[in-house]
Amino acid sequence: MPSEPILRCEKLSKRFGGVHALENVDLVLHRGEVLALAGDNGAGKSTLIKIISGVHPPDDGALFYKGEKLRLRNPRHAREIGIETIYQDLALADNLDVGANVFLGREPTKSFLGLQRLDRARMRAVAHEVLDTLDIDIARHKFVQPVRNLSGGQRQAVAIGRAIYWKAELLIMDEPTAALGVPEQRKVKELILRLKAQNVAVLFISHNLVDIFDVADRILVLRRGIKAGERRPSETDHNEVVRLMIGG
Amino acid sequence: MHKIALALAGITALAAAGAASAQDKPTVALIPGLTTDAFYITMHKGAQAAADELGIELIYQGGPEFNPTVQVPVLQAVTARQPDVILIAPTDKQQLIAPLRQAHDAGVQIITVDTFIDDGKYQDGEGEGDFPLSYVASDNVQGGRMAGEALAKAVGGEGKVYVSNVKPGISTTDQREEGFKEAMQAFPGIEVLETQFNDDDANKAAAQLQAVFARNPDLVGVFGANLFSAIGAADGVKALGKSGEIRVVAFDTPTRIVDDIKSGLIDMAIAQHPYDIGYEGVKAAAAVIDGQQIEPSIGTGFTVMDASNIDQPEVRERIYSE
Amino acid sequence: MAAAARVADDEGGQHPALAFLIRAWPWLFLIGLCVFFESWSRASYGVTFLGNTFNLQSIALFAAFPLLLGLGQTFVIIAGGIDLSVGFVMGLAAVVMARVMQYTTPVDPALALALGILAAIAIAMVPGWINGTLISRLRVPPFIGTLGMFGVARGAGFLIAGGTTVPVNNPWLFAMGNERLFGVPIPVAITLLVVVAMHWTLAQSKFGQYTYAIGGNRIAAVRSGINVRRHTLLLYMISAGCAGIAGMIYTARFSAGAAQAGEPILLDSIAAVVIGGASLFGGSGTILGTLIGALIIAVIQFGLVFINVEPFWQFVAVGIVIIVSVLIDQSKGRLTGERKDAE
Repeated sequence: MPSEPILRCEKLSKRFGGVHALENVDLVLHRGEVLALAGDNGAGKSTLIKIISGVHPPDDGALFYKGEKLRLRNPRHAREIGIETIYQDLALADNLDVGANVFLGREPTKSFLGLQRLDRARMRAVAHEVLDTLDIDIARHKFVQPVRNLSGGQRQAVAIGRAIYWKAELLIMDEPTAALGVPEQRKVKELILRLKAQNVAVLFISHNLVDIFDVADRILVLRRGIKAGERRPSETDHNEVVRLMIGG
Repeated sequence: MHKIALALAGITALAAAGAASAQDKPTVALIPGLTTDAFYITMHKGAQAAADELGIELIYQGGPEFNPTVQVPVLQAVTARQPDVILIAPTDKQQLIAPLRQAHDAGVQIITVDTFIDDGKYQDGEGEGDFPLSYVASDNVQGGRMAGEALAKAVGGEGKVYVSNVKPGISTTDQREEGFKEAMQAFPGIEVLETQFNDDDANKAAAQLQAVFARNPDLVGVFGANLFSAIGAADGVKALGKSGEIRVVAFDTPTRIVDDIKSGLIDMAIAQHPYDIGYEGVKAAAAVIDGQQIEPSIGTGFTVMDASNIDQPEVRERIYSE
Repeated sequence: MAAAARVADDEGGQHPALAFLIRAWPWLFLIGLCVFFESWSRASYGVTFLGNTFNLQSIALFAAFPLLLGLGQTFVIIAGGIDLSVGFVMGLAAVVMARVMQYTTPVDPALALALGILAAIAIAMVPGWINGTLISRLRVPPFIGTLGMFGVARGAGFLIAGGTTVPVNNPWLFAMGNERLFGVPIPVAITLLVVVAMHWTLAQSKFGQYTYAIGGNRIAAVRSGINVRRHTLLLYMISAGCAGIAGMIYTARFSAGAAQAGEPILLDSIAAVVIGGASLFGGSGTILGTLIGALIIAVIQFGLVFINVEPFWQFVAVGIVIIVSVLIDQSKGRLTGERKDAE
């Protein structure tokens, strides 16, 4: 029995104008656990991850991170304490290479005649290393090309690799397999399982029930801002999850 | 400075053999103030005619705007071709001195046409820009005098007139005003009012005419010292419904002014002879190449145009072609 | 799995020859131009085009102004912006420098030059800061904000100049604009120094890296903790600073400041950046590219005058080169088999 959950949310609520986007939602997530967020459009999935990643403050309720109450100031604050979010648009600069993306905003430099010069060799070497530990296969020559020349799955891997390198302990992923081909989807799911093995907590949104059943330890279903239910894949099936999502 | 000359001496020595056969004709370059203006296009035609007559190769190169930034690179590229003489309408009195001096130091003789550098008085041993051999242009004082006489005659030697001018400090328009006022001294019945400056804005010139008329209902004439001054003043007269009562004299004659003369909006216009400036410029250059002395100032004439003579062939050819 | 990924890699790879051509085309084009003008000059006039110092110096001087404006513009365009005000910022700097030197030259000519240089750079920073603030803080689109500053700087320049040019008679200033160091005209030497500094900054520093990142994916840059607002402000100040240096060199070359000094150069400078391979959509471009772009424009314009082609053809020639560069930029993706996503 894992002792302290890495993240606990208590009765989170968020209103936009008169609309209840989220109402009294509880959530618990442990290290090395994969939690899937399921729900129809407008169910509140995005609102929930935006609260956890520091984009919106909740109107009511509280977050506990590693046992302590947490008030997030902004996304940067969340990242600094180990909560990393990978959005659908990947948050990569498409015109830069893999190393530059892994280090974006935190580049290593070498002193050169008193000037601070980018250490591209190190950036490239570390990028290799990180992607190797995740067992991601990218051809050597691709490392010096802009990431726009990589496949969708490879770019997803770069984004995840960056999160891991910067010591993410809780990784939030928004539709990580959308817009990918079947083999690529499989690679990303392998990656999630590898992260789990490395004791990272993963929270991901998906529309794809097959993906959810493949990798999630638990499934949290939202419906119109309310928690409709929580199941383990071994104790439920697609039909029940769909029923929870659409009600009735 | 000397280094350029040295470098050039080197090149010319190298290229001399080949160049001698290709450049057996003497070469003169004409660099206008801008290439897209009817005045300079007409000047080019005159220059070409003289070049054809005298067996001279004419290079005509210029920039699209009246701006030293555009003109100086053209000047340098032309200098690189080592013509014998450069005829140039400098786009700034001050800023063209150094670039022209470089060309001069590289062994090219300089004659300025239409506009000038420094004080416009060359070869008198004074000033930074004393090295050009001659300034070929209309005598703007004379042009102003002709405008004054024509206007005085049109108004019957009586009433109030004024000069619509661009702004103080421009050599050509200042001289036109000077000549105009000089001519008016011969007509005691005419009072010349304060000059109005319009910053080359026709709209402003029109508003000024109405303001002057409001204070002086006996206004009978106005001299527009350049294109926009005249167009604006004419427009102001039209707005007052006084066409034919307040006479407008314009300076320069692109087709636009000619149309206005025909429609009665403008009564008279003083045409410079850009064709002659180009023609005389190349002739002076040819004299320089032949080793003759030339005058440091060469003036060309004017034609007065009005509705009565505008259709005569010898007057028509003075319209600046486009 | 790994095998499958490798196959995908190869499909996405660029044809090496084509990729090389597309990357190297500005260089090849410049070489082609030189060969063309050289053979034409020799055949028609029996003189060399590139083989003499005077022509090389003239071409370098010709390229210097569009290049200086283009250097700062390269940064701005890579970050997805545009700076239309640089031409008149250059004029403003030239006029202010000339005015300052008019007053101070009688006191001490050398000191006057130092003060003039300081004044030129300092005054240029003002419109740069305002541009940057409008765009980064008040979210004014760059095209509109800098177009407004285009008008403001122009008006201010003419006001300070009193509508005409401002002459300065100062031997130090004249020397700076017209003398040579080891055969290199001083204005060209100054421009080269700025090129080296800008190249280093863009290619080797964090600042340059962030400029690319902002142009590539602004949101990604923000999420990576880059201070995008501050960076954007600095970009427009760099652009204005380059314009200030250009204005300073203008005043030195012509011993006078003029408000309209940079007006005709603006479009040439943007053309140099685009010909050099920068995308107006942001994200790509290099200083070396801009250098080549400026040289291409200078060689074309100098060359066409040199071989005495009718002046109006020069507009056509430069226009065609710009269109071709943009077409190449647009079709880069297609030609190199660049991919969106797998499948």
